[in-house]
Amino acid sequence: GDLGPFNPGLPVEVPLWLAINLKQRQKCRLLPPEWMDVEKLEKMRDHERKEETFTPMPSPYYMELTKLLLNHASDNIPKADEIRTLVKDMWDTRIAKLRVSADSFVRQQEAHAKLDNLTLMEINTSGTFLTQALNHMYKLRTNLQPSESTQSQDF
Amino acid sequence: MTEELDFLGQDSDGGSEEVVLTPAELIERLEQAWMNEKFAPELLESKPEIVECVMEQLEHMEENLRRAKREDLKVSIHQMEMERIRYVLSSYLRCRLMKIEKFFPHVLEKEKTRPEGEPSSLSPEELAFAREFMVNTETYLKNVALKHMPPNLQKVDLFRAVPKPDLDSYVFLRVRERQENILVEPDTDEQRDYVIDLEKGSQHLIRYKTIAPLVASGAVQLI
Repeated sequence: GDLGPFNPGLPVEVPLWLAINLKQRQKCRLLPPEWMDVEKLEKMRDHERKEETFTPMPSPYYMELTKLLLNHASDNIPKADEIRTLVKDMWDTRIAKLRVSADSFVRQQEAHAKLDNLTLMEINTSGTFLTQALNHMYKLRTNLQPSESTQSQDF
Repeated sequence: MTEELDFLGQDSDGGSEEVVLTPAELIERLEQAWMNEKFAPELLESKPEIVECVMEQLEHMEENLRRAKREDLKVSIHQMEMERIRYVLSSYLRCRLMKIEKFFPHVLEKEKTRPEGEPSSLSPEELAFAREFMVNTETYLKNVALKHMPPNLQKVDLFRAVPKPDLDSYVFLRVRERQENILVEPDTDEQRDYVIDLEKGSQHLIRYKTIAPLVASGAVQLI
């Protein structure tokens, strides 16, 4: 890809992997994203706690960004510890909601679920377990019904 | 690095198409193919154009780097980017090979019975690999076990012995183009079929079988 002209002293946008690498080589200073601010995060966390469904997150990668930035560049981020706690609170709330909804999904044997506003990290944290559980349940259910003879074994 | 690429569509597409892709779009397509392949329970269509173009680009970049002066920062950044792209490409190919090894009789059978004009799910190299793998497995089984069994048990039908890919497994997906009236089949007899609309940008959890054609056409992206 293309990367903007690097002029000393002027902020420039780069991909995350490059930013972390340059920071590790101590060649730059990282600027936190706009949403990584204590008041904004507090508001979002309270909003998330009130709502029953998932609220839109400031960035589809908020968890990864927080972790990486706080680990490598916490000196560039004001109030890093508070931010860490706030983001962790939001994460815990969302994972709890996810667990509840996965539970009801399996219990009511739904065939389909809509999950907007879930970030990839959350999906993949519980996703493998959930899909495997659903696969097993599906097999158990369909085997209860008289099945046609199949030519080869199904997995 | 900002040059545009031309490439011609290959054999099984019936006639050549010229598509112009910027490198950024090519990488994006590679990542999409990679994610789809990772989460799909079966072997997806092979994408020879993307693979070849990415390899061409990588060679191109390597040549440029060799010729360039020893400016440490630029060279190392480009090297990092190349490593990342190389990782995605090899992970994609590795995933396909793993699926070929896992389901080899079914993959070969599908290839044999494929109608003319339908794109293949195996590149020529993968086809050769699958065939060799089949022959090797058969020979191995024969020499290690079957030879010593009583004569009427000496055949093994690999097609029946190897499990089929599980098309009913659940997958997560994100919708890229709006779709209407997707039929969701019931799991049990008590539930009735119902239709759902897929809005652009929404995410869902559903059985793979229902949306398999959408993955092939690129209307949804597995995540």
